[in-house]
Amino acid sequence: MRLHLLALLAKEPAHGYELKLALEQTFGEAYPSPNIGQIYVTLKRLEQDGLVRSEDVEQTTRPNKRVYELTPAGRETLRAWVDEPSDGPRIRDEFFTKLVLAPLAGLADRMELINSQRRHYLGIMRNLTGLTPSSTPAGLLIEGAILHLQADLDWLERCQEELV
Amino acid sequence: MRGTLRWARADLRARRGQALVTVVVVAGVVAALVLATMLLEGAINPWRGLFARTHGADLVVYFSYGTDTGKLSKLPGVRAVDGPFQAAPATLEQGPVKSPVQLTAMGQIPPEMSTPLVVAGTWLRRSAPHGVVVEASFAAAVHVRVGDEISVQSVDAGAVRMTVIGIADTADQGFYPQWTPGLIWVLPPVLSAVEPATGEREYVVGLRLADAAPVAAGLAVQEIYNAYDGPSENSVVQRFSTAQQVENSMASDDRLLGLLLALFGIIALCAAPCAIANVTAGRVLMHRQDIAMLKALGFTPGQVIRMLLAEQTALGVAGALCGVALARVVTSPEFIRPPDGTPVGLAPLPGSWVTLIAAGTVLTVAVATVIPAWWAGLVSPVAAVQASPPRGHLSLIARLGLLVHLPAPLVLGVRDSLTRRLPALLTVFGVAIPMAMITIALTCWSTIDGFARHPGRIGLAAALTVSGPASASVLARDPQVLATYPGAAFDTLLPGDNGTFTALAAGTSARPYPFHVADGRLYGAPDEAVAGQGFLDLMHLSVGDLTGVTVDGVYVDVRIVGRIVYPDNNGDVLAFGLDALQVAGNPQPPQFYEVVLRPGVPTSAAVVTLLRMPHDQLDVQRVPDPADGLGIVRVVIAVSVVILAVIGLASLLTATAIGLRDHQHETGVLAAIGLTPRQVMATLVVNTTILTALGVGAGLAAGIVAAPRLINRQGQSSGLGAGIASAPSPLMVAAIAVVALLVATTAAVGLARRTLRRSDQVARLHSPARPALKRTAH
Amino acid sequence: MSTALLCTRGLAKVYRSDPVAVEAVRGVDIEVGTGEFVAIMGPSGSGKSTLLHMLGGLEPATRGEIWLRGRRVDQLSTAAWAILRRRHVGFVFQFFNLLSNMTVADNVELPALLAGATPRQARRRREELLGELGLADQAGTAPARLSGGEQQRVALARALANEPSLLLADEPTGNLDSTNARDVLRLLQRTHERGQAMVLVTHDARVASRADRVLHLFDGMVADDAPVLRLPRPVNGVRDVVELHG
Repeated sequence: MRLHLLALLAKEPAHGYELKLALEQTFGEAYPSPNIGQIYVTLKRLEQDGLVRSEDVEQTTRPNKRVYELTPAGRETLRAWVDEPSDGPRIRDEFFTKLVLAPLAGLADRMELINSQRRHYLGIMRNLTGLTPSSTPAGLLIEGAILHLQADLDWLERCQEELV
Repeated sequence: MRGTLRWARADLRARRGQALVTVVVVAGVVAALVLATMLLEGAINPWRGLFARTHGADLVVYFSYGTDTGKLSKLPGVRAVDGPFQAAPATLEQGPVKSPVQLTAMGQIPPEMSTPLVVAGTWLRRSAPHGVVVEASFAAAVHVRVGDEISVQSVDAGAVRMTVIGIADTADQGFYPQWTPGLIWVLPPVLSAVEPATGEREYVVGLRLADAAPVAAGLAVQEIYNAYDGPSENSVVQRFSTAQQVENSMASDDRLLGLLLALFGIIALCAAPCAIANVTAGRVLMHRQDIAMLKALGFTPGQVIRMLLAEQTALGVAGALCGVALARVVTSPEFIRPPDGTPVGLAPLPGSWVTLIAAGTVLTVAVATVIPAWWAGLVSPVAAVQASPPRGHLSLIARLGLLVHLPAPLVLGVRDSLTRRLPALLTVFGVAIPMAMITIALTCWSTIDGFARHPGRIGLAAALTVSGPASASVLARDPQVLATYPGAAFDTLLPGDNGTFTALAAGTSARPYPFHVADGRLYGAPDEAVAGQGFLDLMHLSVGDLTGVTVDGVYVDVRIVGRIVYPDNNGDVLAFGLDALQVAGNPQPPQFYEVVLRPGVPTSAAVVTLLRMPHDQLDVQRVPDPADGLGIVRVVIAVSVVILAVIGLASLLTATAIGLRDHQHETGVLAAIGLTPRQVMATLVVNTTILTALGVGAGLAAGIVAAPRLINRQGQSSGLGAGIASAPSPLMVAAIAVVALLVATTAAVGLARRTLRRSDQVARLHSPARPALKRTAH
Repeated sequence: MSTALLCTRGLAKVYRSDPVAVEAVRGVDIEVGTGEFVAIMGPSGSGKSTLLHMLGGLEPATRGEIWLRGRRVDQLSTAAWAILRRRHVGFVFQFFNLLSNMTVADNVELPALLAGATPRQARRRREELLGELGLADQAGTAPARLSGGEQQRVALARALANEPSLLLADEPTGNLDSTNARDVLRLLQRTHERGQAMVLVTHDARVASRADRVLHLFDGMVADDAPVLRLPRPVNGVRDVVELHG
């Protein structure tokens, strides 16, 4: 969740509750409903790491709310995360996150993201197709990986069609 | 070039069936054309055939008896001499009828030049010392047959009885009675018996010249005269005849024959390119993918076109050669003989003509291939990958059909067959055109039938023309005679002196001769007349006009009240009652009587009876029935129908093959929908049969509508007159339709079965259904 | 104009069926060097096949330039293109690659004959190619009797018969199962290793990943044009694969 919050804060400072709403709105059912407590805990950790800083804002009728914003370090972490290619189905979510959020953050263009990811997949595919399996199970494993990659690439095309 | 050859060779090897179809079609057309030309030639100009067959003489010269004819072979320009043969004039006596004859003495072995062509009985043989051979046209004219006993008498001696043992054709003289005297070949002793006085005999010599052209022949005659001391009263050269004269004499004037045969030439020339174009177009359609692939490989469009043209032309040449061979085989035994006994020598056509016909047909093949080939040149190389899917134009009808629970194969079959317009059109036309031609052919047949059964329709109510003193009384007493019409005929100059026509007085105004009136009515008064089409055309008149002609010195004023169908003389005839002449101031006694026999009385019997009457000099002539000569035409019609059927079948097979190939891929889909294998086959069959049925129907309809019009128009332009056509019976038409549909269905079922078997194999392998067309970017 | 083997500038194709005009390809600039293997990917309807057809002169371009071996070819007539194809462009389609009325041997020999070789030369080349492809004993068979993979291999042999400057292939493995696809892919690689310039349209990542460069077409335009990344090879082979997804 760390990176999600960082990305959302990159757009504009917000307090905890706003972040919760934003998470829900952005990812809808794809993301389990965030617990406000978890959000505060994560924010606190981020602040300890120096990636965000907080500020109390006085309100007239309510208790003070704490507004968080991104630090330069936080921005840097975010950039590094965005620029680094992601791997595998487990990380597809990560790529998907990037794809959805990065443009909002003004960090990257969707088309470039897709192209970059595709190039990465093709590179992996090149390696996979260059392997010579020593046994049948190994061969099957490689073939499985190839098929997954093909599926990922096809999915990339779909993303391109829908989101660009 | 090599690439082209390789492809063509492989293509022909792979598509043997289709190549065979093309060859058969072309062979059929060429054979039909050669045959028709031979028959036409033989009928209209029998001389040439006879001359070739009998090795006729270019020049026949009669010398006085005893002349030394040895000099002849030494004359320049004379290649061969045959003779001399002895000849003597005599008279054939048949009761009161006397016919002039010439007896020519020949041996048991017929001569090498001008060999008489025996068509009935045998040639002279010593075992029959009184046996004689009569020339065919003479025999027909005097009603003499093999086995008859005849009596021949010369000027001096008494009658000699002889037996006819044979009838033969010769090219040495024209037909009797246009050419007299009639010719009878006898053994030398018989000649001596008839004419013992040698002074009355002659020498006949046949000559073959180096140059048989008329001018050269004339020169040769001149030289002969010079060799024998010049033409003069006392020359030993009595008379001569050239082959040219004989040819002119034999040439027939038969328009009806000519027109019907011309019609068939046109039919063959029209059906051929259509059939060939259809077959070729079918091949292009079937091979669109292959052609596209060729282009992708690097064949230029020009090369593709040239390739197809060359391939088809090669097939055409093969077909033409087969056709020529076929025609030769079919006509080598002399099995074609018209029933009236008129000699028709069926000689093979000169090589140049055959070459012309063959070359013309091959050219037609090439021309007919041009458009499909050009179309193939246009096939996009991308067709190899993308082929347009069928467009379902009839989905509404299909839905309706399924709604009313029509059998699924029927509905699907119909829908499929009509969604591809171009192949559908090709199929329908390819079958319709031969069908239409067959119908026209059958109409001609029934028209001829009509003539034979009702000669009155062609203006021949009377079977005989009788002339001579006491004719009227004899005819009145004869129970075979139904009616007689007195008549007189005059060759009359047209006003303006540019031609003649026949002014025919036939019957009287009160009792006119029963011409076949196509328009208007017969004359009923002395100032009325009927005219033939030819006359009307010549004088630019029509029914209802007034006209005046000078007949035999008197001016006759008449109103034309009707148009008749008249076979003779190009229809240049004006007919009126005998009393019209009387009214005009030139009463004429009847020159002859037109005799209408009772129905059922055969003409020959009547003739014989009349000839036996105890009186003298009654001349009985059969009215020549134009329909007689049409026996040939019947043969030509039969042959043409067969050829057209072959052409139609070829188109049909091609069309079926196209349709089935298109649907090969869909059989899997049909099975998936839930159609049983039998239903799938039924779909395929319905699919192709629908189109062929349409074609058959369209062709029949077109033929039935067009044929009488065509025939009548031809009749009109030839002066015969319109109104001669009679349609074939509905039964015959229905029979043809049923046969055609049966053939179509059988072919479809047969090919469908083969396709289904093959498509199973193909489905197993992998061949996909056509990829969907993806032209849209979005 | 560069020294590339194949070069296009602003290539476009518009299909007109009034009143609709469809832009299948909109302004494509690509370059293919000698011996280079370029893969073209993209969703269906992106114009890949159309682009390939234009490169081979099977379809005329609506706009733009095509330069082949330093010579401008987009305006050539159909006939001139056909002649050009004989020596310089080999084409492999997805379906219907072989002439149905000729045997395998004839199919492979035909291009050579067309280009002017003698029958003997053509036969020798055919034996060579079929031998390499392991199809020597299928020489006399009719194409309809071959499996899909065999047909594609024969098609490849046919396309390479004249040693063309450029090999164009449209989804060469599109119709094949994975075994056959692997065989054909191996063939393509060997051909590439021999220095053949190739442009392949494919959606198969396995094929694309062996290319030197991958072009991605989207909506008729080039969305991406980059060499295939040479990532550090997995040192421990299969174990690294497992690890990748671990």
